[in-house]
Amino acid sequence: MSNLDHGKFTRVTTLFHSLLGLDVFLLFFTGYAIMFNDELWWMLTLMGGASGVTAIHRITGIGLVALVIFWITLQIISSTGRSNFSKILPGKDDIDAFIQDIQFVLGRADERHPSARQFGGYKADEVPLLSYIGKGVVFIFSIELTLLAISGLLIWSKTGLAAMFQTKAAAMAFVTFHGLLGVIMLMGVMFHIFEHGMHPAFYPVETKAFIPRSMVPEHHGDEDEEPDTTGIERLSLSPSWRTVSTIFGAMTVIGIVSVLIGSIFDEGYPVPRELAIGGGPSSILLTVGINLGMVVLGVGLVLSMYGNVLRIRWEQQLEEEREQPTAADGGEPQTDGGQPNADDAESEN
Amino acid sequence: MTAEEDLPEVSGYSRVSVLISAVVGLAVAALSLFWAQGLRIGYESLYRVNPSVEGGGIGSDWVFGNTIPALDFLIALIHAADVIMGAFILVMVFIHWAAFQRLAGQMREPGEDVSEAVAADGGSPAGGDGQGGDGA
Repeated sequence: MSNLDHGKFTRVTTLFHSLLGLDVFLLFFTGYAIMFNDELWWMLTLMGGASGVTAIHRITGIGLVALVIFWITLQIISSTGRSNFSKILPGKDDIDAFIQDIQFVLGRADERHPSARQFGGYKADEVPLLSYIGKGVVFIFSIELTLLAISGLLIWSKTGLAAMFQTKAAAMAFVTFHGLLGVIMLMGVMFHIFEHGMHPAFYPVETKAFIPRSMVPEHHGDEDEEPDTTGIERLSLSPSWRTVSTIFGAMTVIGIVSVLIGSIFDEGYPVPRELAIGGGPSSILLTVGINLGMVVLGVGLVLSMYGNVLRIRWEQQLEEEREQPTAADGGEPQTDGGQPNADDAESEN
Repeated sequence: MTAEEDLPEVSGYSRVSVLISAVVGLAVAALSLFWAQGLRIGYESLYRVNPSVEGGGIGSDWVFGNTIPALDFLIALIHAADVIMGAFILVMVFIHWAAFQRLAGQMREPGEDVSEAVAADGGSPAGGDGQGGDGA
């Protein structure tokens, strides 16, 4: 009847997501250890001081260039990639989903819009490839990563930058643009981690981005029954969800606010816009806040690894069931509803 | 729980397109590296992480060296973009946080008696396959 919620992406996409995540986390840790070196002095020291941090930042930066170019090429030369393009374009449904999310929060809508739904459950067929947030993530991160890769390379090649901008000061301003540009993505990634780690149905991590669709069964629930609900009322809440989601939500908000304030007052490494600039942490609160933001990123890195652990476990479970197909559920293996939706089969599957 | 026959037949990215993309990605990365750094191996000195004016680092270079006022404006512009996007991202965090709370309210409480909960939606315990949500 419906796809389970976790089978949206191909194996290549899930692997790419993990590699990109790892690379971007390392870029954030090193880049913001430099930009917020007052507040994150320990991180700077831990990664080998200025030399070590800049070396790691460059190595991972080249990794980012390779990953970005790989992905752009793949989307252009493969029919799967080309057919996906229309699925990531924002449409009216996405605006409706945003509005309905606000109504849902205010109690004026009974459920989230299909284009906002993370847990589709019995109604998973209605859920598009990407939610409105997913589309925003794809667009904003694509633009950001491209601009960051280009500006990073220009900064790296001092002569290339000097040739373009003529003055050393202008070249230094580029470093600030690079750092400030990344702040948007840094804040976005914190939200991304919260969104996909703290959904009550998926807590502690939504496996959609880790377990490829080819490994997920096509249907579940009662075969011929038209569902009235997503079926979330049949799921049990994890005992730790309320505490952890509250703490992690607070950390996410504090982290986002702090890096935003830090980026304004620290003026971005290494160029001060004003004559008087701070030589140390602006305040204890800001230092704590920015460090909490880094903890949020650290949790994201751990969850990304955990998602891959779940994929490996899932793979092993499938292997065992292949060896004993009837023993797994005690009945006949199903042979009916496994045909993929035609649209999905053409795109991400 | 899952027989192999339940799994979808998929036609994702072909091996050839993945291979070509990987080669192009690595080649462009290598060319970028060569363009930016050449063949020399080097690293930044501590000088770059010294933004203060007083310390005579890059900060003072900027203060005394910037002859393009427009750069100040551009930096302010990116600050504004950060603030606008930051505020928007915070709104999205709060919306999702609240939505998650409401969704959690629809779920069974930890340790709740399964038979009671199933009675509420009129279903039968037999279909209780979705426990735990991720099924993994």
